[in-house]
Amino acid sequence: MTSADVREILEIELPEQQPVTKESLFSDDKKQKVFKKEKTFKKPQGMHREVWGLLFTDPRDAPPLLPSDTSTGYKQAKAKIGRSRVRPWKWMPFHNPARKDGAVFYHWRRMVDEGKDYAFSRFNKQVPVPTYSDLEYQQHLHDENWTREETDHLFGLCRRFDLRFIIIKDRYDRERYPDRTVEDLKERYYHISNVLAKMRALPGPEAKLFMFDADHDRRRKLQLEKLYNRTQEDVEEEETLMQELRKIEQRKREREKKAQDLQKLISAADNSDRRLQKKQPKKHMVAHKLSKGGATVTSGEASTTPDTTGIKFPEFKTSGVTLRSHRMKLPTSLGQKKSKAIEQLLEELGIEQSPMPTEEVATHFNDVRCDMVLLYELKLAHANCEFEVQTLKHRLEALVPGRLASLNLPASAAATTTPSTSGEAGGDSPGKTRKISEIIDVVGNAEHPSVRANLFESIEAWDRNTISPSRKRRAALEQRDIMKKLKGNKS
Amino acid sequence: MSDYGSEGGGRVKGLTIVKPIVYGSIARYFGKKREEDGHTHQWNVYVKPYRNEDMSTYVKKIHFKLHESYANQNRIVTKPPYEVTETGWGEFEIVIKIYFIDPTERPVTLYQFLRLFQSQANIMLGNKNVVSEFYDELIFHEPTSMMQQLLSSSRQLTLGAWKHETDFVDKEEKTLSAILAAKSKIRQEIAELNDKLKVSKEALKVLKDEISKAEAEGEEGKDAGIKT
Repeated sequence: MTSADVREILEIELPEQQPVTKESLFSDDKKQKVFKKEKTFKKPQGMHREVWGLLFTDPRDAPPLLPSDTSTGYKQAKAKIGRSRVRPWKWMPFHNPARKDGAVFYHWRRMVDEGKDYAFSRFNKQVPVPTYSDLEYQQHLHDENWTREETDHLFGLCRRFDLRFIIIKDRYDRERYPDRTVEDLKERYYHISNVLAKMRALPGPEAKLFMFDADHDRRRKLQLEKLYNRTQEDVEEEETLMQELRKIEQRKREREKKAQDLQKLISAADNSDRRLQKKQPKKHMVAHKLSKGGATVTSGEASTTPDTTGIKFPEFKTSGVTLRSHRMKLPTSLGQKKSKAIEQLLEELGIEQSPMPTEEVATHFNDVRCDMVLLYELKLAHANCEFEVQTLKHRLEALVPGRLASLNLPASAAATTTPSTSGEAGGDSPGKTRKISEIIDVVGNAEHPSVRANLFESIEAWDRNTISPSRKRRAALEQRDIMKKLKGNKS
Repeated sequence: MSDYGSEGGGRVKGLTIVKPIVYGSIARYFGKKREEDGHTHQWNVYVKPYRNEDMSTYVKKIHFKLHESYANQNRIVTKPPYEVTETGWGEFEIVIKIYFIDPTERPVTLYQFLRLFQSQANIMLGNKNVVSEFYDELIFHEPTSMMQQLLSSSRQLTLGAWKHETDFVDKEEKTLSAILAAKSKIRQEIAELNDKLKVSKEALKVLKDEISKAEAEGEEGKDAGIKT
């Protein structure tokens, strides 16, 4: 039992003692050395270990065990002196074949190299500028805008300045000759060199001609200047225009696709129509093989198209046992909106959501649902069409006021614009049995379908909710301007 | 019976045999809540053939999977009548799996929601039992020869009358007539809508032409203005 334990039990407070350490036991009277903590610099984050090692070495670190090798390094510890014989050097004159004036210069050289030409003269290369004789000039190189002297002057400059046309243009004698652009000079030079090359061409490999298109070059330089001189605003404007263009193109593609789908729909609707009509005469004309054949052909082709526009029900070609109700199951590929529309219609028509599955019932049920989907799609297409008609009307009004009245548009299109007729239609519908087409709330949401009794009202509501026709028209006008601007910019 | 081998003979191509069945549940209220386990209803879930025949010629067994709170939740019935009678207090879904004598045929699954509680209409009508019955058909597409034999040779099950809770003949008639009526109505609607759509499209075309004309005129006017 230590005193500490006793103290704890009795809960007597005592000042905290320093814990017993080896030093305290072994040290005599020496002062307790408190090791001052030397400042160590911490390696900053992100810096590599080796880099930090270059900058700072911890003095507390032990020296490396292997001494580093100082032989390879920038500063040589010892000069390397070879054992071979000394080569004598001499102060001597040398000849530089690159010089034309025959000046003689002196420099130190090894005795071995005496008499040799200046080694670096081989780098004196000249650009091969062709020369022409008077005869050649008169025969082939004559030009209205260029006099003989001017051409000679040009070629002299070319030779002097190694075909550096910018300098040649700068040094061009503007007092004696007219002001020429770089493209003009180049054009003349290359034309002449090509003609001469063709003339002098040896039989065998064709002469290498350098085709220079001055016009293209001029335009290119103009383009570069324009590009260089664009301000920041110009750049931003261009960027936005490009984006707008892409959006317009995308919308155009979508519209085209919708138009195609529309075509398919209409053809499908036509086919199903034809099927209906053909079914009745079929009963009468059983004897006539021709008509029978015709009817079966059309029914055959009609059966294929509704399959693609309607719903594809899972067919069971595999051998095995299935339930009839399986055949009536709706495919999952049908979207939520379409399924909802089908549900509503079935309810309205007083049919169970899944009726008892006998063979006849199953086939007719599937057909009915196919037709419902077709109806729904037609509704959508019609609504879209009407909307487009509206927008175009507004646009026309904006462009040419009064032109609209002069047109005699088909009746259904006109009906949607005037609120009086829609009110009429709204008044009529509660009286009569509601049309199926009005039951499906195509445009609005399927939340409260019973509220939106009138399809016309729903179209107008949609108008208000989405972009209003006037805004659409303005957007369309803007698009047109943008297209024009882009076309202007390109040229 | 000739030996069909382990595979049951080859499959008969192009043959489809249809066996209509009826499945469902009937439930009856005790009148009070039973003290010991809180059960309030007695119910019976069943699978019967639509016509008076013996399903066991082609059905090996029918497996009724009840709620997990039931002891032995998997009830297997191998001979008719294919039904399970139990008591309980709550509604749940029963999975009915029909296994066939032919081992190559996969079992067919049906789902029956066990209805215990009466709807308002039922209460008004004064029905004692709560019936939830459905009609369905087993379609055997290209069965093996063995299966074909079994399917065609079913005999009458009982000597007495064979009837179901719901009048399916009547129901079928009503459903079919409703569907056909709906079909013709929808076809009509489609035709009407088609016409409307065509009209709209024409209007669209007319408007587009007008607009392009107007734009062209506008352009000319503008150009003329610039030139002068």
